[in-house]
Amino acid sequence: MTDGDGAQALPSAPAPEAQAGGSGERWRRRHAKEKLALILGGGALGIALLFVYSLTMGIYPISFSDAMGDIWSIIANLGPSGEMSERVIYHLRMPRSVAVLCVGAGLATAGAAMQALIRNPLVDPYITGVSSGASFMVVLFTIGGFSLGASSLSIPIAAIIGALCAFGLTMLIAEMAGGKAMSYVLSGVIISTGLSAAITLLIYFNSKEYQQIMKWMFGSFADIPWSSTAAIAVGTIIPIAITLCFARKLNVMLLGDEHAKYLGVDTAMLKKGLMVLIAVLAAFCVAYCGVIGFIGLIIPHVCRMVIGGDHRLLIPASAVLGALVLLIADVFCKTAAAPSELPIGAVVAVIGVPFFLFLMMKEGKRYAM
Amino acid sequence: MRCDEKGSLGECSSLLDVAGLVFGYTSDLDILKDVNIEAGGGEFIALMGPNGSGKTTLMRCINKILQIKGGSVVIDGNDVKKLGRGDISKLCTTVPADIPPDFSLTAREFVMLGRSPYVVSWWWESEEDAAIVEKAMWDFGILHYSDRKLHELSSGERARALLAKGVVQRPKLMMVDEPSAHLDIKYKIQVMEMLKGLSRSGLTVIMASHDLNLVTRYCDKVMLLSEGEIISYGRPVDVVTKESIMKVFQIDVKVILDEGVPYIIPNPPSAGEEEFRVEL
Repeated sequence: MTDGDGAQALPSAPAPEAQAGGSGERWRRRHAKEKLALILGGGALGIALLFVYSLTMGIYPISFSDAMGDIWSIIANLGPSGEMSERVIYHLRMPRSVAVLCVGAGLATAGAAMQALIRNPLVDPYITGVSSGASFMVVLFTIGGFSLGASSLSIPIAAIIGALCAFGLTMLIAEMAGGKAMSYVLSGVIISTGLSAAITLLIYFNSKEYQQIMKWMFGSFADIPWSSTAAIAVGTIIPIAITLCFARKLNVMLLGDEHAKYLGVDTAMLKKGLMVLIAVLAAFCVAYCGVIGFIGLIIPHVCRMVIGGDHRLLIPASAVLGALVLLIADVFCKTAAAPSELPIGAVVAVIGVPFFLFLMMKEGKRYAM
Repeated sequence: MRCDEKGSLGECSSLLDVAGLVFGYTSDLDILKDVNIEAGGGEFIALMGPNGSGKTTLMRCINKILQIKGGSVVIDGNDVKKLGRGDISKLCTTVPADIPPDFSLTAREFVMLGRSPYVVSWWWESEEDAAIVEKAMWDFGILHYSDRKLHELSSGERARALLAKGVVQRPKLMMVDEPSAHLDIKYKIQVMEMLKGLSRSGLTVIMASHDLNLVTRYCDKVMLLSEGEIISYGRPVDVVTKESIMKVFQIDVKVILDEGVPYIIPNPPSAGEEEFRVEL
């Protein structure tokens, strides 16, 4: 055979342990673990540094070393002391940065998992109607004046209800249409389109609430209190942890439903369960700070280009990178035009699109998905 | 020979025992009608028949992707009906003709997926899994492509990666769906040699194929399927005859024996019949 591999292709060939491959294999195995350690270690360090840096940014001046001291003091005393800088960090800046990290990690994880479940590279965490469902309900609540007094919970609750209802409707239609991967995409797109049109009509006839609605829809982490941050943290960290537990199964599911069954993975229940989980995750991501696009779609692609398609590396990497990118964007949002805030969704896209296009042109030929 | 209820390997000479299998998507239309197959360990069996005759459906019934209406499927003494998906995947696997290569797994990561039924740890595969995968990739001549992405491999290399993935699954029965459909003659022969070698190592191989002449050359047995029924099952020289091919495929052929192996040469429609014409 001319390609030189025919001779060793016969099943009677000698065992490879005799060849150099044995140790090479072990090296590659360690390599995957090393990659994961690098992602987690580097990610933790990067997030820690950027987190402290984000606490220094704002109108009240706090230096990096002061911020570190303040964080230590807050942890040691289980709360802020009377000092101004500690109170600013604890009440204003920390909840915001923690929420940003959680939402960034949540959106990127949701995107990576959703792209594998639906086996479609154009899918983002909102594909199941989550974003438009949430937006629709928020608009309805704002216009209908169901603001439940001054409760800060009315908008997030409306968003989560809307997100999960739209998701349920999308799933129902997809199942009725045969339950193929493409059925989910199609019904998600159609539901989103319908709800967006309804939002447009609602706003058209209620233009005086326009400003308030747009503020939510553009996305913002400004003035987020600890109570909201705690809800976001619980609503994102638990689904991310569960998704991680299924990372190996997601690799199998890339092969498609029938092929996964050959490998002993019954996809039907797993797929539905994970989709519900991702919908809840995405719903918590949009509930408090509005619809932030781009992170969920692009971050998984960037990670896949760099580290490959193994979800045991891809999901941690996406979570870390999503958190980092969104935190950078948020720092930019609150400082670039201070004292006013920029809409974070738009800022993320403006920063990210040129970078992604560059990566796409550089790596695109070698990249499939 | 039928296996008894709790039949084990010792009491059951056949590895695959399909008895009276009936399948249909609706209650009134049966796609497969009373299919009976007995296959021993290490046999290389070809499944032949026209498009739509039920070859793929039969394979899906054997591994319980489809729920059969009647009859039984017993693999290595285990009634498939009573087994869960995970147990079935340790007994038999299916190798599809090709996979959509549109995701960023490397060849090694892909072959490693074949170990899925055996991985007990929730995160990494064991050193043993890694060694098994490496051995299989070496056997199939794709070890040096380990770190290449699946979509960067040629069709022939991908076909071998698929076979390697099937082998590391350590099944007793491997069903292969048209393995040579996209391949040129060199790789077709390579794949046939590999499947033959696998069966000689004790794996029972059932291969759906349209390649009459390769089948008669390589397979121990041929099963002719037509409209959901097995027309004939046995040695190639007994099954692949002028009459049976004419009956099943409705074409006129000439069968030549070369060292006891039948070769099929299609005859063009005779002069009297109507020719295919298109106004251009």
